[in-house]
Amino acid sequence: MTIGIGGAGGKLAIKLDQDALLVNVSEVEMGKLPARNKLLAVRHSVQGQLRGSRKNPQIGQDAYFSIREELLRLIRGNLVFSSTGGGTGCGICTALLQEISQGAEPALADRTRFAFVLPYAKQEPAEFVANTTQFLGGPLSEALDSGNTGNLILFSNRLKFESKLAEEEFNELMVTSLRTFLEIPRKNEELRLLDGHIDVEDFNLYTAKPYFNHFTTFEFDPGAPFDRQLAQNLNPLLLPPENPIEAIFLLEVPEGGDPRAFYNILDHFTGKEVTPIYSVVENPRLRKPSVTVSMLYSRKPAELVDDFNRISQEHVKAKVRKTVEQHVQLHRLEVNLEQEVKQLARQRGESDNDILVVLKRIGKL
Amino acid sequence: MKELFPAQVERLAEPHFLVLFWAAQAEDRKVKFNITNCFDDLKFHRITRTKQNVVAILDSLAALCFVTLKDEGNRRNIYITPYGAKALEALVLHHKFQPRQSAFLEDLTP
Repeated sequence: MTIGIGGAGGKLAIKLDQDALLVNVSEVEMGKLPARNKLLAVRHSVQGQLRGSRKNPQIGQDAYFSIREELLRLIRGNLVFSSTGGGTGCGICTALLQEISQGAEPALADRTRFAFVLPYAKQEPAEFVANTTQFLGGPLSEALDSGNTGNLILFSNRLKFESKLAEEEFNELMVTSLRTFLEIPRKNEELRLLDGHIDVEDFNLYTAKPYFNHFTTFEFDPGAPFDRQLAQNLNPLLLPPENPIEAIFLLEVPEGGDPRAFYNILDHFTGKEVTPIYSVVENPRLRKPSVTVSMLYSRKPAELVDDFNRISQEHVKAKVRKTVEQHVQLHRLEVNLEQEVKQLARQRGESDNDILVVLKRIGKL
Repeated sequence: MKELFPAQVERLAEPHFLVLFWAAQAEDRKVKFNITNCFDDLKFHRITRTKQNVVAILDSLAALCFVTLKDEGNRRNIYITPYGAKALEALVLHHKFQPRQSAFLEDLTP
């Protein structure tokens, strides 16, 4: 089962899986999505019930305790979608990850995979960035250290803003990309196997590991070096990967294609001291070989937080500058010194010379 | 007679100076400056509190031919004479008094 927490999480979860469970603090928000399974989190306040959490993660954190038992049971071994910037997703996931981190180490089959959508700090509201910074530095770091979660997938909204994509279109891209990765074991079962093997158990074991997961799919040219092809075809929807710790790849070759092309890919990973799980299948619908690669990497959350802090600070500075420019209008003071002096002289009386001038002017001298 | 004028000017006090000054200023601005205005201004500067004093000051200036008092309508207006102008000039040149603003002419009445 897929679980979508909060507005953004819900939209992605329902797109990937029609039977997804949506979790939200607002029934109204949840009603906007055609979901069959819904779980309403409540808090002892009217705030959030109708309007969502409005970027305030505290509302999500408070509401988490109303669904704690049920949610902990439901997420076991499943995939959770959430954004890190909003109030509901970030808030509930904060409390959820803290609980997972402090709990006992779960069995591999029970580990929860998380897919988080990170805001594009340059163009999204400062609250989103601030929430994300706190989330990455706090609960996500704890979860990484504890090793109690499955794969962590970090989507970024960067491509959406840079390419000016509609939200629906961008969500579709993210879900398609993820679906391609998740289909690896199914393709192994359905297509003719040429080399290696990735069964469901292998795949589940791989996704149960507590690392960041970067996956990508691209047309593979067996004649060109794999390093370069991979570097050129990293998934633009995800944060870029670090050096891989583990890897998995599925090479699909067209009918009659040369299955030995996978040795190039193996060599690449061997050079990085990684022995990937792999399989080569024959896909008659393809005309060129295609490879789906996933790499598990670990990145210190502090580095992620640093990146976000840097961008966030720039954002705040720009905001302050804008505020000053827009709201504190410093009127230009135009002083006519001559007039000011005359005015002052008039207020003090008149200078001696002025009196004489006046007397002459009125013709009395 | 030549000594008379300096002696007359010598005896003038600050209120006399101010009345001459304001009368000249008013004429320059083509405004009529009457006894009531003069009283208000002197009171504003806390020089006098009674109208009798102001009338006495003006009577003395008029007796010396330094000002002319003209009844116009129901107001008695003050006009500086050429002798008054010379007296004011002498006071100015001797830096005897500092000019003060007229609340009436500068519209400073609170």
